[in-house]
Amino acid sequence: MNTLDYVVLFCLLLGIAAYGTWRTRGPRDLRGYLKGDGQTRWFVIGLSVMATQASATTFLSIPGQGYMDGLGFVQNYFGAPFALIIIAAVFLPLYRKLNVYTAYEFLGRRFDGKTRLLGAALFLLQRGIGAGLTIYAPAIVLSTVFGWQLDLTIICSGLVVVVYTVSGGSEAVTLTQKYQLGVIFAGMAAAFFILLAKLPSGLAFSDVLAIAGGFHKLQAVNFSTNVHERYTVWSGLFGGMFLALSYFGTDQSQVQRYISGASLRESRLGLMFNAVCKIPMQFFILLLGVLIFVFYQFEQPPVLFNQVAWQSLTRHVPADKIQSLEARFTVAHAEEKHQLEVWLDARKSDDASAAAAAFAAASTAHAADESVRQEATQTLQSAAPQTSANENDYVFITFILHYLPHGVIGLLVAAFFAAALSSKAGELNALGSATTVDFYRHIFKAEGTDAHYVAASRWFTAFWGVTAILVALFANLSENLIQAANILGSVFYGAPLGLFLIAFFLKWISGSAAFWGTLAAQVLVLALYFLLPKDYISYLWYNLIGSVVCVLLAAAIQAMIGPRSPEAAPTVTP
Amino acid sequence: MKSVPPDDETGLPGLRSWASVYWFVTTVFVVVVGLLAMLTGMYS
Repeated sequence: MNTLDYVVLFCLLLGIAAYGTWRTRGPRDLRGYLKGDGQTRWFVIGLSVMATQASATTFLSIPGQGYMDGLGFVQNYFGAPFALIIIAAVFLPLYRKLNVYTAYEFLGRRFDGKTRLLGAALFLLQRGIGAGLTIYAPAIVLSTVFGWQLDLTIICSGLVVVVYTVSGGSEAVTLTQKYQLGVIFAGMAAAFFILLAKLPSGLAFSDVLAIAGGFHKLQAVNFSTNVHERYTVWSGLFGGMFLALSYFGTDQSQVQRYISGASLRESRLGLMFNAVCKIPMQFFILLLGVLIFVFYQFEQPPVLFNQVAWQSLTRHVPADKIQSLEARFTVAHAEEKHQLEVWLDARKSDDASAAAAAFAAASTAHAADESVRQEATQTLQSAAPQTSANENDYVFITFILHYLPHGVIGLLVAAFFAAALSSKAGELNALGSATTVDFYRHIFKAEGTDAHYVAASRWFTAFWGVTAILVALFANLSENLIQAANILGSVFYGAPLGLFLIAFFLKWISGSAAFWGTLAAQVLVLALYFLLPKDYISYLWYNLIGSVVCVLLAAAIQAMIGPRSPEAAPTVTP
Repeated sequence: MKSVPPDDETGLPGLRSWASVYWFVTTVFVVVVGLLAMLTGMYS
């Protein structure tokens, strides 16, 4: 990065943060601080929901996922449209009717105080860790690539978001998210079109797809019923629906975004905007990774994209072994490139048999350079097991650094940080709200003034901001970033979703049965995750398992303790 | 000043009820997955 990149980066990030702080300055009541001005229209709600979900991992790690594994990851989002429909039709009207600040306030009205606290506590635990991950994600990759100090990167980016979130509350979060998403889309679009322009001349888009397809990168849907496979239509549709239902419907960081709409109509349309756009957006981010893969068939990539891993390898392994790896990789890649050029010529001259032979030779050469990569990774893991060999997170940033012009590099790095800040702002806002409304006001001080609760909310938001920074400072991930975020969500979302499903649909189940059913289901999911071998069950299934077990256990407990008394009947009904 | 439709109206041309909006979203989903399946079939 040069001076121009740093100017673009700091102007965009600090400019948006400063503008958000300035526009939302001044005193406000608790409603204004936690829900905004109540005038938010559907498009802004839609962008805010999108910006809260799409963290830096979405834009940094998913192109790498596309590069390595192709389009299959898009299936993870297949359940999202249906989850959003259920939320718009059932959850949202009740949240708005009860005029709640948090989703857990609804649990208190439907069940009792302890069940409300359990829902809120699970959210704080999961989201408190998640907020740390949100800020850790771009910091670890970008500090590694640019040689920045990791601690300083985490602290500086963390403090920027704390300042405007604490100052302006929900309104500042929504306002800044709108502009941050603009930066993100501008950056991703720039990368996409520059990448297309940098593909070899004479390579039509149909050729690009043929190459990607030939290397199995375009397998977007997989109808396999094998539960051990991570990405299938079924795990995405059912597991993904439960994950999305839990995340969008019961996670306060999302609920807070859409209950602040000017009307039920605006909130609903904001959700439907996401229901329509989510899968295409993820598809294009993955496709970007696939295009980078095709690009690197004609331009030699490094043996390992993760340069920290590569440097660690060079320190731990004799120089002649490193030279051998590099030489074999270069030869294999040159052969692959040559064969693809032969394939392209044969394809243009309609010589099908020559084209097939050339592509087969290119595939063999590709397998050879992949085996060099695997050998390098395995050598690293045995020589320096403490060094992360994760490649996915470094693919896109490596391409950006080597092939995008200055200025655009700054724009892309700003986009990654904008994604992290927008996501973290939504999370901190929600963590502060839940702590204030569900714990502080509910347990410690029920009769405070609005000004008192706004001050408390500011302090709690700042507390969670600092906690997230501390979590990020001590984080150490073995998974790639997007996987880690989804695994964390899947492990902690199933049981709370079961709790909300009981609240919405099973009126005969009381608070005590729901409370113990949720607690037991959460313990079971944690036990399965930690005791079963890795990938024994695709992590998306934990959403389904947690929800179903929660509902079944609560129903069984209710059956054992007998029907609920009439006075304990729900005070709210859908 | 434009009047805001009441909550039970969608305000969308051609999609007057919320049920029709949800069907529209479902149709878009089916079309998108169909296109992805075609892409998978064509290039695998």
